[in-house]
Order: sequence, then structure tokens, then C-alpha cells
Amino acid sequence: MQFALTDVPRILPEILLLVLALLVLGSDVFERWANTDAARTEQHRASASLAALGLGMILIIALIQSGYVYRLPDDAPINFLTNIVRNLQNGGPASELATTPILGAFATDDLTMIGRLVVIAAAFLTVLLTYDARPTANPGEFYTLIIGSTLGMCLMAGSSELIMTFLAIELTSIPLYVLAGYFRNDRQSTEAGMKYFLFGAMSSGILLYGMSLTYGYAATAAVTQGSTGNNLTQFERIRELVAQAGEPTVLLTLGMLFLIAGIGYKVTVVPFHGWSPDVYQGAPTPITAFIATASKVASFILLFRLLTTTFPVLTGAADVIIPVEASTFTGWTSLLALLAFLTLIVGNLAALPQTNAKRLLAYSSIAHAGFLLMGLVAWSASLAMDREAGIASLLYYLVAYTVMNLGVFGVLYVVDQHTRSDEISVLNGLARRNLGLAVLFTIFVFSLAGIPPLSGFFAKFYVFMAAWQAGAEWLVIVGLITTIISLYYYLRLLRAVFIVPPDTDAPIPTPRWMATSLVLSALLVIVLGLFPNIILTIIDNVQAVAGR
Amino acid sequence: MVPISYYIMLSAALFTLGVLGVLIRRNAIVVFMSVELMLNAANLALVAFALQRGGIDGQVLVFFVITVAAAEVAVGLALLVAIFRNKRTADVDEVNQLHG
Repeated sequence: MQFALTDVPRILPEILLLVLALLVLGSDVFERWANTDAARTEQHRASASLAALGLGMILIIALIQSGYVYRLPDDAPINFLTNIVRNLQNGGPASELATTPILGAFATDDLTMIGRLVVIAAAFLTVLLTYDARPTANPGEFYTLIIGSTLGMCLMAGSSELIMTFLAIELTSIPLYVLAGYFRNDRQSTEAGMKYFLFGAMSSGILLYGMSLTYGYAATAAVTQGSTGNNLTQFERIRELVAQAGEPTVLLTLGMLFLIAGIGYKVTVVPFHGWSPDVYQGAPTPITAFIATASKVASFILLFRLLTTTFPVLTGAADVIIPVEASTFTGWTSLLALLAFLTLIVGNLAALPQTNAKRLLAYSSIAHAGFLLMGLVAWSASLAMDREAGIASLLYYLVAYTVMNLGVFGVLYVVDQHTRSDEISVLNGLARRNLGLAVLFTIFVFSLAGIPPLSGFFAKFYVFMAAWQAGAEWLVIVGLITTIISLYYYLRLLRAVFIVPPDTDAPIPTPRWMATSLVLSALLVIVLGLFPNIILTIIDNVQAVAGR
Repeated sequence: MVPISYYIMLSAALFTLGVLGVLIRRNAIVVFMSVELMLNAANLALVAFALQRGGIDGQVLVFFVITVAAAEVAVGLALLVAIFRNKRTADVDEVNQLHG
């Protein structure tokens, strides 16, 4: 297998992200040296607008490449524009090139494409949020780190090989450690960065150990089967060797457990969630929004691809009965069902007594990871149709979760810019201080709570249906009960906004680009909820995962 | 030749030591060292398995891991310096503004 010239357009969004990152970093050199506040704002806005423009253009290019909005017909007239579109779409997920991963390492199928689109859109909305903010120190580096970690997430969504997976996870995480601790003189921010780093480094250690065990199993099987070739780190090859070796051994099962634990840290499932409330609370708010949405989307797609491609022999069944017995553990779906159960209970109950809004939303985001896991659990279904419903529900949930969480953290950021605090009490009387902001906040919180007709409701509905079809009825019942519990803390936020009187009636201004970002998120939340078919028809393309 | 299982047992022991170090030790620098120990335990296992079948794919992964670990530690130490400036301590228990 060789890298061909035709592979270049397939990784075009990644190449462009890299170019943009370097451009943003380099352009900072040409800025005026910032000593005054006006100069600092100018410097900040120059970097922010370059990053936002670039991300927006890459998003449009990726959309054209995907062919989801417009697919060029074969008999289109040949001219300059159609040639560009055709070349782009030949590298897209619909071309036959996309059926095999590049060098066995990077798949460019629909799963990757959807991951890319969501991640780049999340980065774009995050950058828009920060445009009108108080200027950060060294804005060029700030935005370069955001774009760099976006690149890592795109690679994570497409990686189909162990080395690529490790590098992509690290490329995502290392910039995020720095971003979480970006305010060097702020104690909370540095503490958040430190904690994120320590837990993240430990989780990559665990992940790598899982990789070594999985590779070890494949290598041992290759020796017995007399198989040669230096491609045992590819998910596909491991799957083939495992299938030929017959019964999976303890080594492989252990490797899989370590891999799930390693990625479990990134997606904040209980019991690997300890870092997330502290990091979400301490990190700068737009970075919290970015960590909570984009990195989770990429990690979930990676988890799905890894488990379904590499470990189909260890799939198992999700009908674990409470009390759990050792004999009911048959594979990764039963393990994930148990993790989902713990995550739903712990996430929702721990959110109840919180007084800090960001911390409360951190626990809410842990609880959402539980719902997302239910979409993966649906892979245990015997019918291919039900499995496909599972992955479709997972992806729909990821999209809905991204827009509503970006929105809700965005509103907190606007309030935080004005009041310099993120306790729930600063939301008091927000409806009187800025009605538009309060309405947006209500939309996002209702969607998080799962109130129809917003997208959060359909997302929950679809994962419940998929998990029920897969035989995890007990999990759906737990999910329903915890959804009702979650209403309590979501309504507490709204009570502060609408009922509790504020200390002061001074209006909270919403700067223009922050408002744009919030309105875009809110529109997506509503449109995806009213017309879920728009996105479901796209998601239905995902059935063919490259190299499975 | 030393049997492959010896290497794997050594790597498992190193990994356990690393995990224990992360969980028990309170000094952030020692915690970093324990994380490195975990990564190197995995490296040892990878190299041993690659040696067993005469392949190089596992060894290539090790090179990438060593490089990435260096970058990771650079970021970690920078964060530690920032914390130390603020709080005059490298004890992870003393860094406790965020809780609840």
C-alpha cells in the first residue's frame, strides 16, 4: 500500500486546518506590539477573525466535499467551478476511494466526515464566542492551539490504526491541557490545567498499555498462523487475526478493557469522570464548551470505530440484570451498559446540589455521556437494522448535544464577561436584565432536559428506542427515571433566570458576534428538533464504515 | 533468548508500580515520573511482542510514544511552574480551589 496523489484531496480538511494553524500563529508576528488596551483588543480581534474566517471556509469546503448538501451530477458541464467541486467530491465519502483507509491508517468514510463537520463547526462557534471577549494574552497562540486540537479531533474521528489513534488523541489533548490552564495568573485556571493534564496523561498511559496488549495478542496470533507483514497495528488486521485465532484469550479481553478505560476518561464516563467537574469549572468558559462538546464527539466516534472494527468477537449482549452477576458480562456492550448505568445515576445525582453553574453543567454533561453510551450499547442487537439505528441515534445525539452545550456555555460566558462569576446566583433575574439572552438560555436548557420539540428530546428518544430494541430495557427505564431527576436541576437554573429577583437591574450587554454564535446554536437546536430528518438522512450514509 | 513472558511480566509489574505511584504519591513531579513509568511499561511490552514475531510495527509505535511523551512532559512542567508561582507548592493535595 502506497500513499497516492489521489489521497491528498481525501485529507484536504486536515491539511487546511494545519495550514490555518500555522497562518494564525505566523500572522501574530506582524501585529502591532500591544501595550495599550486598544492595541491589545486589535491584536486579539485580528487573530480571532482570521481563525473564524479560516474555520468557516474549511467548514464550507468540507460540506462541499461531503456532498450532503449538493452532489455534483455526472453529466454536469465541465468548467472551472465544476472541476473544483468534482475533484473535492472525488476525495469525499461517496467516492469508491473512501472504502479503504489511507495506508490502512486513516479512513475517510461518512463517519469521519460527520465527525469532521461537527468538530470544525464546534471550533467555529467557539471562536465566534471569543471574538468580542476581553483580550487574552498572546491571542495568536490561543487560536493556534484551538485549531491544532481541532485537527487532532478530525484525525481521531478517522483513525483506523493504533499509532494514528495514539497520535491523534495526544494532538487533541496536549493543546487542550494548555488551553484549560491558559490564564496563567488565575489560580482556578492553572489548577484546571494541572488536573486535566495529570488525569489525561494517566489515561493515555492506560490506553497505550491496552494497545500493547491488543498488539501483543495480534502478534502472537500472527506467529502461530505464520502471517507476515508489518500492519498489525491496523484495526482491520487485528480483527482478521482474532477471527482466525478462534476463541479470544484473556490477553485480548484485558487489552480491550484498558482501551475502553483509556477512552472512557476522554468521554467522562463514571468511574473515570473525576477530573471533569474541576476542569470544566476552572477552565476559561469557551474552552470548557469546546472540551465538553468537540473532544467528546471525536472520542465517541473513535470508541465506536475501535470497538466495532477491532472487537466484533467480543460484542456480547446488553441484557445485564440487576443485581449484576459475573456471568452476565459477555463483551463490551454489557460493560458499556454497566458504565452507562453508573454514569446516568452518578452524573444526575451529583448535579443536584451544585451551586456553580459550570460545575452543574459539567455533571449534566457526564449524565449525557451515559445517554450517548446507550447508543453504543445498541450494537449488541442481533438485527443489522437495529444496530444501524443505534449508531444513527448516537450520531444524532452527538450533533444535538454539541449545539446545545455550546449554546448553554456560551450564555454563561456572556454573563461571566459582565459579572466575572459563574455561580448560579449571577443568573438571578437574567430575564429582567437581558430578555433575549434569557430566552436563548431557556431554549438550550429545555433541550438539555429533553423537552419536545427541541433536538435534545429527539436525541434521547432515539437512543432510548435503539437501546430498547437491543434488549437493554432495564437501561432505558433507568434513563427515563434519571431524565426526570435531571429536570430538577435544569429547572433550578431557569428559576434563577425567571423568578429570583436580581441584585441590580443593570442590563447585561450581548456583543454582536457572541450573539451570532448563540443564535446560530439556538437555530440548530430548534431546526434539528423540528426536522430531524434533515440530519438523519445524512447519518444514514454511515452504515458502510471503511475497513470493517 | 529470554522467553517473551518474562518481558511481559516485567512490563506488568512496571505498569502496576506506575499506577500505584500516580494514585499514592502527592508530589506532582513524582506523579509525572509515575506516568512516564506507565508509558515505558507499555513500550517494553510493545517492543517485546514485536521482537517475538520479528516485526517492526510495534517498535515504530514506541518511537512515536517516546516523542509524544517528551512533548507532554514539557506541557506538564510548564503548568507545574505556573501553579508553583501562584501557590508555592508542588503538592497535588494543596491544589484544591476547585471542589464540590
